[in-house]
Amino acid sequence: MTLETEQDWKSIVHRCFRCGYCKFTHSYSDFNCPSYKKYRFETYSTGGRMWLIFGLINGDIQWSQNLSNVLYACTTCGNCVENCRFEKFNSFIVDFIEAARAEAVKAGFCPEKQKLLLERTMNSEMFNPYGEQNSDNADLKKEYDLPDNAEWVYFIGCTSNYRQKKLRDATLRLLKKAKIDFTLIDEHCCCSPIIRTGQITPVKDFIDYNITQIKKTGASKVITSCAGCYRTIKKDWLKFGAEYEFEVLHTLELVKQLLDDGKIKIKSEYNKTVTYHDPCHIGRHVGLYEEPREVYKQIPGINFVEMKRNRENAWCCGAGGGVKIGYPDWAVEISKERVEEAKETGATVLSSTCPFCRTNLSDANEKHELGLEVIDLIEILDQLEIEINDSNLI
Amino acid sequence: MELFVLNKNEIIKKLCDIIGKEFVSNKSEDLFIYSQDPGVSDPRPVDFVVMPKTVEEIQKIVKLANEEKIPIVPMGGGMTLSGLVIPVKGGIVLDMKRMDEIIEINESSRYALIEAGVTTGKLQAYLEEHHPNLEVSIPDAPPSVTVAGNALIHGSGFLSQKHGDHGSMINGLEVVLPNGEVCKLGSCALSKYWFTRGPIPDFIGLFISSFGTLGIATKLSIKLYPKPKMRYLVFGLCKDPKVLPNLIYNITRTDLAEDILIGIQDKPAWMKGYVVIMVYITGDSEEELDSKTKLLKKIYRKGKARYMKAPDRYYDIFLEKPQFAAKAADFRKGGGFEYVGAFIPLEKIPEIIQIGNDISLKHGIIPTMGARFISKTHSAMFFISYSFNRADPKDIENARHALHETNKEVLNIGGIPWKSELEGQKLILQKMDPNYKMLLKTIRSALDPNGIMNPGNWEVN
Repeated sequence: MTLETEQDWKSIVHRCFRCGYCKFTHSYSDFNCPSYKKYRFETYSTGGRMWLIFGLINGDIQWSQNLSNVLYACTTCGNCVENCRFEKFNSFIVDFIEAARAEAVKAGFCPEKQKLLLERTMNSEMFNPYGEQNSDNADLKKEYDLPDNAEWVYFIGCTSNYRQKKLRDATLRLLKKAKIDFTLIDEHCCCSPIIRTGQITPVKDFIDYNITQIKKTGASKVITSCAGCYRTIKKDWLKFGAEYEFEVLHTLELVKQLLDDGKIKIKSEYNKTVTYHDPCHIGRHVGLYEEPREVYKQIPGINFVEMKRNRENAWCCGAGGGVKIGYPDWAVEISKERVEEAKETGATVLSSTCPFCRTNLSDANEKHELGLEVIDLIEILDQLEIEINDSNLI
Repeated sequence: MELFVLNKNEIIKKLCDIIGKEFVSNKSEDLFIYSQDPGVSDPRPVDFVVMPKTVEEIQKIVKLANEEKIPIVPMGGGMTLSGLVIPVKGGIVLDMKRMDEIIEINESSRYALIEAGVTTGKLQAYLEEHHPNLEVSIPDAPPSVTVAGNALIHGSGFLSQKHGDHGSMINGLEVVLPNGEVCKLGSCALSKYWFTRGPIPDFIGLFISSFGTLGIATKLSIKLYPKPKMRYLVFGLCKDPKVLPNLIYNITRTDLAEDILIGIQDKPAWMKGYVVIMVYITGDSEEELDSKTKLLKKIYRKGKARYMKAPDRYYDIFLEKPQFAAKAADFRKGGGFEYVGAFIPLEKIPEIIQIGNDISLKHGIIPTMGARFISKTHSAMFFISYSFNRADPKDIENARHALHETNKEVLNIGGIPWKSELEGQKLILQKMDPNYKMLLKTIRSALDPNGIMNPGNWEVN
């Protein structure tokens, strides 16, 4: 079952009983819904939102800016999807919220800060949500001596290209080091931020543009180091009617494949205690839990430890769903809880596989002087000596 | 009673002064959510929602409510389904869930001292992690319900067959009375240990099943029990409900069972025409469980029932704590169910099964019933559940009629509807001994002369 039409979600949203399983971790030891934990009114639980949406459909309650704010004060982390017990309903909860946000936009109640995401993305000088001058990546192609046509496209993503350049550069170096036949495109935003905030009007055009650019390269595979881009290209582009035949991989999946096949081997040691933060966009949204862990565990010298809430139970970093731009202080507050949880493990390094998580975790780490090193898995690998066993790798 | 002497803006300002604006609301979306619950009750208006953190804040709110004649409705998890925390006469909903500290676990005297907003999920998980040899009886309600709320509505759970209903597991209470004073009840009134209700005059019962009309519970001591190493489930099956009273009686004579449940449903199809019996057993070893299972098989046979080997997934479903009873809300793919939970004598089980069956079929609802036996067979909480589709007003109305008819029939056979909605409360009061009602009215008037505490519930005219 998919929610292909407006009627699809409007006809099942009332199935929420408001039982509250969605608020918890698996063991019920703590609230794991960032929004409910912060606001504590039932309104801010997933059930509250489902009932508001049903109320809007029924005409029992009217749109207001306050109501819209309730819908937008959700990181769409998917903890509710994970813990809701109602089958054939639970998997759509984030879709309901995003669909309701699209209705808010139509009704003129998109919050002002989130509107910026669309304005910047639509700006033909930018095509990204950060308001930066668009990079066509031509300089990077030149710098890394990349061809026009290749088997792989590295889709950098706006966060890596404009905010987390260390991750971008580490990915570029790693791909080069591993002798992957790849190139870059003049990419526009994957649209994750505007999809998450219900501002969906231009999405199909952006998808079509990006797919055209990818096709021009002749690539059969797209790789990204961004969890948000990964989830969006893999799931949302299809939801928006995109048709493509290329395979989509997160960089960590490629690295795992190379390690498993013995095509690369990590030679130097990383003698640190590391814990891993599961990004919602590749964890609960896609289900990649063990793959990153298997890569960390193949790093010589590493002492890999788990946080109390991990995998399906992970506490969100707080950046997603438009919360970082809409509620910047709260986003960091959510992230602070995660960094503190990481510290409790005894780790000195908090690592993840998402530049957006990295940004928000770093913000909390710095703001509250928590003293951890926050770093992406790919950046760790970039620091290590890697032996290539096969020149024709993949 | 003249309500709202002040205008609402001034009241909001005063409430914000007491607990801070972050946890006070009269925003339409918050009022909308707190004006309804998942049962069949129609929404009723709410004026303010507040979430206090301390006893002192509650005292101040109660004093303000007295001054301004504003009704107060204390709320725990909000999952009674019978509208008990939807104000009848407007006013303040006092959502207690920010008061969620587990204050003390006393290992040797086996109790937990907790704030009133602690959820069953939180206490259960806390014990599993920090006190694995102890357990608390929790209801088959979602983990978001509060321990205090469930105990104070006379709830029951997986240890109730052995140890009684959850109200009887309360060792002590701290209550903000309707005049704003704090009162401690039980041993905590004179000792630092919250270990027992007596031996002093026991007023804790006043606050059980009174639905917040006599005060606001802020802390509670609840009994904990030794946690057995192993827990297992022995299914039984019988065709004739008339055999149940003797069968259950005989099982409880043996002291084999931790918990005893029965289920009667027309769906899935294999259940139609049968009563499924679930006896939970515990032990320290597989051998002990095996020997108890053998004994139960014998009792089943002698009692004209038979042992049933169920598929593995049934064990997974029914050994879960809490059980996912809210599943009934999805039976009509409509997000709603409400049930009459009738406290009845054991001998009335066959009769109430027939009643539930007849009323369900009359209303076109698939019969869904069951029972938990409490404190051996001192009583049974028999539920007759009516699922409905929240998107269909006629379906809701249909379930409402079914509930009302069931309440009447339960009273006719000598049972008592549990945590009843307003209409059910009226039926109970009609049948109640006049002097009991007068006592209730006298106590309530004495404690709450301004009638601010959840007015509209248990209204004796």
